[in-house]
Amino acid sequence: MKGITKAIVLIIIGLAVLIPFASTYPDGLEKVAESLGIEEPEPMWSGLMPDYTFLFTENSYMTRLISGLIGLFLVFSVAWGVGWALARKNRV
Amino acid sequence: MLPRSFVPIIAVSSAFVFVGQMLNFPIVYGTSGHLVGGAFLAMLLGPHAAVISMSIVLLIQAIFFADGGIFTFGANIFNMAVIGGLSFYVVKSLSGPSPSQKRLSASVFTASWLSIVLGALACAVQIGVSPMFASAGGVMVTVPAMLFWHIIIGIGEAAITNALVLQLSRISPAVLGGLTMLRGLGL
Repeated sequence: MKGITKAIVLIIIGLAVLIPFASTYPDGLEKVAESLGIEEPEPMWSGLMPDYTFLFTENSYMTRLISGLIGLFLVFSVAWGVGWALARKNRV
Repeated sequence: MLPRSFVPIIAVSSAFVFVGQMLNFPIVYGTSGHLVGGAFLAMLLGPHAAVISMSIVLLIQAIFFADGGIFTFGANIFNMAVIGGLSFYVVKSLSGPSPSQKRLSASVFTASWLSIVLGALACAVQIGVSPMFASAGGVMVTVPAMLFWHIIIGIGEAAITNALVLQLSRISPAVLGGLTMLRGLGL
């Protein structure tokens, strides 16, 4: 369990340090769509924090960090729950 | 499936992949790529749990961050979770029984690169046959364009995955459950 805490701390530090260096260029798929002149349609569901922004504020360091931390927590919890439900019971 | 002792590792590695997918690295010509992490998960969790782990990441992205999308959820699961999970078998067939560290490393590198290229190919076919891209030329245009970028992006994926697996095999080999399964040591 100690290792797990350590890993989470390292992931959070990594996120906090790397956010300013993360590229804002379009990724491979976005670039292809862009070069073909295709615009992404309005989504049916625009999410609670669309494109990793938080509370509809502008896309700054803090909003990306906070939404990243929320996402990290959500993924961690759901994966833990699903993993627990599916994992074998017969071993420790 | 994995034993219960692996549940925290499933949780942490899924969280890691979520964060990894947020952080784009620049490649060339004003384009970026980011870690997908399918092959990495396969090395940690084995093929089956890796698919589930990646699907959870994609689900949270779609619901909370409007990244990926609800309509495209199934396609994304195929392109990243399933193809990513299959990396396990690519590594297995490339590395053979009791591989050297070097050969294993080369297999992990190749399998993670391939997971990106094959995922991009699947995605290119999916968008190519969709009516939206039909006017732009369909699959004849989307396949070469997607492959071009992802052959480059895949190198980033492969370098990151390989570095992570190497590092983990040094400091904490027990977490590499996929690798343990691969070596037939049971889990």
